This record gives sequence, structure tokens and C-alpha cells, in this order.
Amino acid sequence: MTEFVRLFFNSLQTGSIFALAALGIVLIFRTSRTTNFAQGLIGTFNAYVAAYFLLRFGWNVWLVALIAIFTAFLTGVIIDTLIIRPAAKVNPISKQIVTLGIIMILVGLIPFFFGVQPLLFPSFIPSRFGIDILGATLRYNTVFIIVLSVALMGAMFWFIQYTRWGLATRVTASNETTSKLMGVPTKSVTMVSWATAAILGTLAALFVAPSVSVQPNMMLNVQLSAFFAGTLGGFSTFIGPVVGAYIIAFARNFTSFYISDIWGNVLVYSSILVFLYFKPYGLFGKKPTKKV
Amino acid sequence: MLTILDNFTKRVHGFFQGHVYRNYLLFGAAVMMIPLMHNFGIIGSGTLGIWAYIVIITVVALGLNILLGFSGLISLGTAGFVGAGALGTGVFLNMGLPFELAALLTILIAAAIGALIGFFSLRVEGIYLAIATLFVGEILRQIYTQIEIFGGQMINIGAIRFLGFFTLNANPPSERRFLFVIIVAVMVLMMIAMHHLVHSKTGRALLAMSRSQAAAQAMGVSILSYRLIAFVTATVFATVGGVLYAVYIQNAPTTAWTLDLSLFVIAMVVVGGFKSIYGTFLGAFIIHGIPNLILAELFGDVSYIFSGVLIIVVILFYPYGAIQVFYDVRKWFHKGRLKLTTKRSDRSA
Amino acid sequence: MKTPLLELNQISMTFGGLKAVNDLSFSVFPGEIVGLIGPNGAGKTTVFNCVTQFYKDYEGDVFFDGLKGKVDLRTIKVTDVIDQGLVRTFQNVELIPDLSIMNNLLIGAHKQFKSRLIDHLFNTKKARQEEARLSEKALEILTFLKIDHLKDFYVKGQPYGILKKIEIARTLMSDPKLIILDEPAAGLNDRETDELEALIYQIREKYQTTILLIEHDMGFVMNICDRVCAISFGKFLAMDTPAKIQKNALVQEAYLGKDD
Ligand SMILES: Nc1ncnc2c1ncn2[C@@H]1O[C@H](COP(=O)(O)OP(=O)(O)OP(=O)(O)O)[C@@H](O)[C@H]1O
Ligand SMILES: [Mg+2]
Repeated sequence: MTEFVRLFFNSLQTGSIFALAALGIVLIFRTSRTTNFAQGLIGTFNAYVAAYFLLRFGWNVWLVALIAIFTAFLTGVIIDTLIIRPAAKVNPISKQIVTLGIIMILVGLIPFFFGVQPLLFPSFIPSRFGIDILGATLRYNTVFIIVLSVALMGAMFWFIQYTRWGLATRVTASNETTSKLMGVPTKSVTMVSWATAAILGTLAALFVAPSVSVQPNMMLNVQLSAFFAGTLGGFSTFIGPVVGAYIIAFARNFTSFYISDIWGNVLVYSSILVFLYFKPYGLFGKKPTKKV
Repeated sequence: MLTILDNFTKRVHGFFQGHVYRNYLLFGAAVMMIPLMHNFGIIGSGTLGIWAYIVIITVVALGLNILLGFSGLISLGTAGFVGAGALGTGVFLNMGLPFELAALLTILIAAAIGALIGFFSLRVEGIYLAIATLFVGEILRQIYTQIEIFGGQMINIGAIRFLGFFTLNANPPSERRFLFVIIVAVMVLMMIAMHHLVHSKTGRALLAMSRSQAAAQAMGVSILSYRLIAFVTATVFATVGGVLYAVYIQNAPTTAWTLDLSLFVIAMVVVGGFKSIYGTFLGAFIIHGIPNLILAELFGDVSYIFSGVLIIVVILFYPYGAIQVFYDVRKWFHKGRLKLTTKRSDRSA
Repeated sequence: MKTPLLELNQISMTFGGLKAVNDLSFSVFPGEIVGLIGPNGAGKTTVFNCVTQFYKDYEGDVFFDGLKGKVDLRTIKVTDVIDQGLVRTFQNVELIPDLSIMNNLLIGAHKQFKSRLIDHLFNTKKARQEEARLSEKALEILTFLKIDHLKDFYVKGQPYGILKKIEIARTLMSDPKLIILDEPAAGLNDRETDELEALIYQIREKYQTTILLIEHDMGFVMNICDRVCAISFGKFLAMDTPAKIQKNALVQEAYLGKDD
């Protein structure tokens, strides 16, 4: 039981982190029509910013996180204006490779600004604070990550559903050309989407930083899981990838604990492939209509 | 007797006349000059290794070009199959099988997985298919890193015995240069095979399938068959690349076959040129050669920035790939000649 | 009475709640040129898609007395319909833009190639001979359509009139018994439309084939068709000679709206 409780909260935490990253990916997929392979590295880069200020000036973890969120916003805006917008007419496959270009630029910038050593980053609430539930320790930091992520995503859904800006985002996501003709500011929508996605990625990075430390491939696992979450949940809704993220986190944690550390992931991935065969557009996805 | 000889020379002549062969063979011969430069000490072993990698990865990227360029399909699982080629060959060799059999078995197994993906692609499309191939790549990677027989970080392969009688080792430079010649020969063969394939009924059907599925079906092109053909050929090319890796490097890491590698191979096709065979080599050179041969020397770690910028710039300005530069130059050249001749005829008139 | 080449028997096709084709029956006889007309959204293209098996879940039956005798088309795979001698064009030109015109025609002969993947990889004699033979056939067709001088040009960038011609040329590669044309004159200017009229007659003569076509250009339909089938909202209105269809009250009503 103790293990179960521990795994349960652990999965909620990783699920939340995957969900933040997945939401960033789907936001960009819908508004810019590209798979953003750089999502993880954008987060990593800004996590470096936070860790750098923390180590260099000894600033408080909350303050450096705020700074990182601000630089994330800037990163998103810069990437959109300088790279993504000029590539608007590029074919979809090449556009994805543009995001590979972004990865390489960021990978090159990291040692230039922050050196080659991995940087340590603390949790937001020190891990000694926690409560005991059925023998397992529930850290306040875990609670914090879960609550903040869920609140943030809830706010985003509300925003997308009920505000004018949210409407503009949904319209852009469903058909950019028509939206442009109808006077929706698609350019700003895309820019804000990149900024938001960058912030989501950065939060995810800051949340995993304490356990993997800040280094270039710290987001590898998160990013991969976020893609898988998007596919499982379906890229045609915003809620799908979030649900997918929690499912993947739970499935991976529980199979690797109860079945096999080695074959757990393989099992989960294979099952998702089988699932996709029967529901090719994910849990919540719909088949796009097309006519001959 | 004379007629036989005559016939023979005619055939040889015809062979080179068919300029397809001539061009690829000349190209291969040019690349084979590189070890000669190594021999005379003009370039170091590291540089030779980089060129070898370009040759190997070109074979992989050619296969991906069949998918991306011709069939309009994408795979993010390429790295998994290159790994399969290298590790599979290693495992079978260590089990005592002769090299040719080891390579063949590896390729067949990988092709079967490729066929499975082909089936899968009939139901799943777009980004879902792309990420499904990423799942396959990840599953393969997990297997490589976890499974016992691959024995940890790396499997040692050691000298390769070709056709059961001559053995080549990566170690003395003379033998390594010979290995280089062998992998270039394989690359040229793969280029020629791909050339034939894409200029045949198969190539047309692949294009038809990707450009207009409706027209393809109405003309009798079975989407299932050609999806299978596309994925199986791409897989076989990737696996052959992996086998060449085993042949040249003579050991195979278990952890190197990640999404990054798959993305780089896609980048080679995109940057070099969709549907272009020489463009694929050019892409491999731009993505792997330029950073490692030139930029790394100049800038060290920071060279990644330049590679990234290079990729983006090429995509923005040469949407059909860098090979377009050559076509532009040729066109420009022809135009120049045309102008000259018309001028001359003007004068005579 | 001759046996019909193509026979539609109470075809219905539903999309969601919408009955795009509703209990439609008509026949096409060998050697005829038949027009299928109806206002926008009447379900004409849907009929073609059912006949050529792009849709399989229609109600009713389609029989075709083609190269392999009379068959129920539903039992034929969409990619095998062409083997029966039934081939079509599309409303929105469906060609392969980054292939030469010659190669686009060769796609129409896809099923006539007997060589296999292995032959292609090694470019065997068999593959080469076959390619040469079918290329010759394609060239003949292009010459017949007077576009042989363009054979090595890409399809991309050709004017619309040429694209329409290439699509028709591609159908001829399969020696069809019935050619189905979806709005062949759409987007053509008057001169091109006249040329198309002549061309369709010539095709019928030269290739001994039957033609079923959808067209909105009434002048064209009246000139060229032996018989015309009119539908509206998926329902059969009338089938008769062009002159009689023109006078048909139901058809007039469908096109002009009922005036009460
Ligand atoms: N794949 C489909 N899914 C849903 N509805 C469809 C589909 N194809 C056609 N429809 C609908 O069925 C009706 C008939 O369409 P169809 O394309 O057959 O008309 P049409 O007579 O060819 O019209 P047009 O002259 O404009 O080409 C239309 O209302 C159309 O919106
Ligand atoms: Mg229509």
C-alpha cells in the first residue's frame, strides 16, 4: 500500500510535468502547424537562466523562476518573429527541421553562456517538508507542482474557452487562412502561443531540474513523453494531450514498478501503438474530413 | 571470336554510355580518392572517419528520401534501424555466423519491422504516424540499452571476414582505407539501385500515392503495397547503413540511436534536396561534414549555433534543398551559353 | 435491346444525415456518350465515387459489363476497377505535379506493367523493354491529343487546358471500355471547349469506348451527349435525349426553382 501511495503521487507529479510540456507542444502544433522538437530545449535553456542567477548571485529560487519565465516569454517571441514567421510558407516537413535548427542553436548557446558543467537546482519547497500518508511521504513540493500545474492548465482552458483571445486562438488553430481573412490577428496569436509554450516548457524544466540537474538533455524524457501524450490524447483538442500525459505517467510508473523495470516502457509504448491502430486520432481526436 | 569480342566491347561501351552508371561511378571514384589523401598524409584519420560517416549516413538518408521525398511519409524511427543494422550484425557475428549471413539476417528482421510500420501507416497518418514511428524507435532503443546480449554500453565486433576468405581490420590504416573503399562501393550501388527504383513504375507509383491518393487508386496503385514498399525500402537502406557502420567502425554503441539522429537524417534530406540522390549526399555533407570538418575546428562547442543557422537558412532560401544551387548554376551557365550563340547568329544575319 | 455496359440499380449514399444520392437508377449502353447533370451539390460526383468504388458503403448495386464480363462492381477493389476497363477523371484535376507529362501517362498504365520491384532495382531487360513499349503507347496518345511536344515537361506549371487534356490522356492508357469524366469542360474557354467536344467524339471513334460525363456547361452537354440523366438532391429526375431533357418540366424546375 505504501508503495502504491508513493507511486500514485509520484505519477501525479510526473504526469503534471508531462502535461505542461504536452500542452506547449499541442499549442504550437495547432497554431503554427509544426511539431516543435525544440520544446524541451527551450525549457532547458531557460532553466539554465534560472540556475545561473541562483548560483551566481544566490538569489531566491522563486525569484529566479520568475526571471526564467520572463526570459522564456522572450525566447518564444524571438523564435516566432525571427524564425517561425519567415518559415510560414515552408513545407511541413522542412518546418519541423527548422525546429531542429533551433535546437542546435540553443545547444550551441548553452556552453557559450553557462559553461559545460551541469548546474544544480533546488526544489521550490525543500524536500524535508512533507506529510505522511499510509507510510509514504508526500512532499509539499510534489503537492505544489501538482496544484500549480492543474491550476495553470485550468486557467488556460478557461482562457481558451471563454475569452476573446481564446476564441482567436481556437479559430487560428482550426483554419489559419480563413481566420486571417476574417480579421483574426493570427500573427499575434501565433506569437503568444510560442511565448506561452516556452513558459510551459520552462516550468516543466524547473520542476524536473532538482532530480536531473540542469544539463542539455534534462528534458529528453519529458519531451518524448509529451509527444507520446499528444498522440495518445489526440492533437485536435487541448484537453486530450493533458489526459494522455497523466495516463502515460501512471502507466510507466506502475508497469516499471509492478511488472518490470526493463520492459515496462516497452510494454506501455507497444500498448499505445496497438491502441492507436484502433483509434488513429487518439482518445479525443476526430478524423479530419476530406473529400475526393 | 572477333564478334564475341566486338560484342563485349560494345557492351562495355554501352554501359558507360548509359550515363547513369557513368556519373555514379565517377562520383564514387571521386569519393574513393579521399583515402588516397589519407595515404599521403594530406588528411588525418579523424577526417577520414568523418567522411566515412558521411558515406554511411548517406545510405541511410537515401532510404529516408524514398519516404519523405517520394512517398510523402515521415519516420522518426530511423535511428532505431541504423542501430539495428550495427548491433544486429555485431550480435550475429559474435554468435559465430559469417558476415554475409549476419548482415542478411539483420536486414531481413529490420525489413519485417518496416513492413509492420507500413501496415500501421494505412490507418494512422500525419503527426500520429510520425510519432508512432518514434515509438518504434524508442522501443528499439529501450531494447538495445536494456537487453543482456548487447552487453552494456557497446558491443565489440572486431575484424570483418568478407566472403569467408579476406579479413579487414579497422586498425592498421591501410586496411581501414580499404574498408572505406568498400563502404563507398556499397553507397554507389545503393545510389544506382535507388536511381532505377525511382525512375521505374515503383517510383511513379510512390509519387502518385503521395501527391494524389485518389488518382493513384483510380489508376490501380494499391496504397497498401506501396506503403509497404516505401517503409521496407527505407528500413532496408537504414539497416544497410547500420551494417556499414559495423563494417567500418567495428564496434557498435547501444545508446547512440536516439531521436536526435533520426532528426539529423531528416535534416539531410530536407537540406540536401527532396527526391535528389546527389542532393542526399550533399545534405549529409552539410549536416555532418561542414560542422565537423570546418566549424568544429574554428569554433569548438559553439559550432552548433552555426550548424543550426545553416539549416534554417538553407530551408528558408532553398526550399527544394541545397542541390538547387547546382541546378541554378547550371541553368545560369546554359543561359549564358545560349546568349552567346544567339549573339553570334545575330551578327551573322 | 442491347445489354447495358453500366447499370446503376437503386443506388443510395448517405453522409451523416444527408442523403447525397437517393435511390438512383440508370444505365449506360455501349458506344453512348451520356451526360449526368444536376445543380451544385446534387450528388453527381458522389455517384461517380460509388461507381468507381471510392465509396463502398452505398446501397443498391452497380453492374459493369467490362473487359472481364458482367460484374457487380462492389466485389471489385477500388484499385482493381481499372482492370475491368473502367477509368475516371476528377473534378479537381488530380495529376502528379512533379512528374513529367509522359510519366503521368505511364501511371495510367500502372496495371499493365508486369515487372516487379526486383526488376526495377536492377533495371533488368524486362523492365526496360516494358518501359519502352508503354512509353511508345503513351507517346501515341499524346500525339493524338496534340500535346506530344510537351511530353518531357513537368505537369506543374502547365495551363489548365493542358492539365485537363493530360488527365483524359491518362485514362486512355488503360484501353478503357468506359471513361467517366467529372466536369471535363470546367475552367476551359470557349475555344478549348469546342476542341474538347471534337476530342471526345474522336476518342469514341478511335478507342471504341463509351463515355459518361458530368458537366455544368449546358451547351456542351446538349451538343455532345446522346442521352442525359438529370438528378437533383440525389434523386432521379429524368433521362432522355438532350432536347427532351431541356424541355422537361421537372428539370427546369430543379434548375430554375419552382415559381409559385
Ligand atoms: N465525403 C463527403 N462527406 C460528407 N458529405 C459529402 C461528401 N461528399 C459529398 N458530400 C455532400 O454530398 C452532397 C453531394 O455532393 P457531390 O460532390 O456529389 O455534388 P455534385 O453534384 O458533384 O456537386 P458539384 O456540381 O458542385 O460538383 C453535397 O451536399 C456534399 O456536401
Ligand atoms: Mg462534383
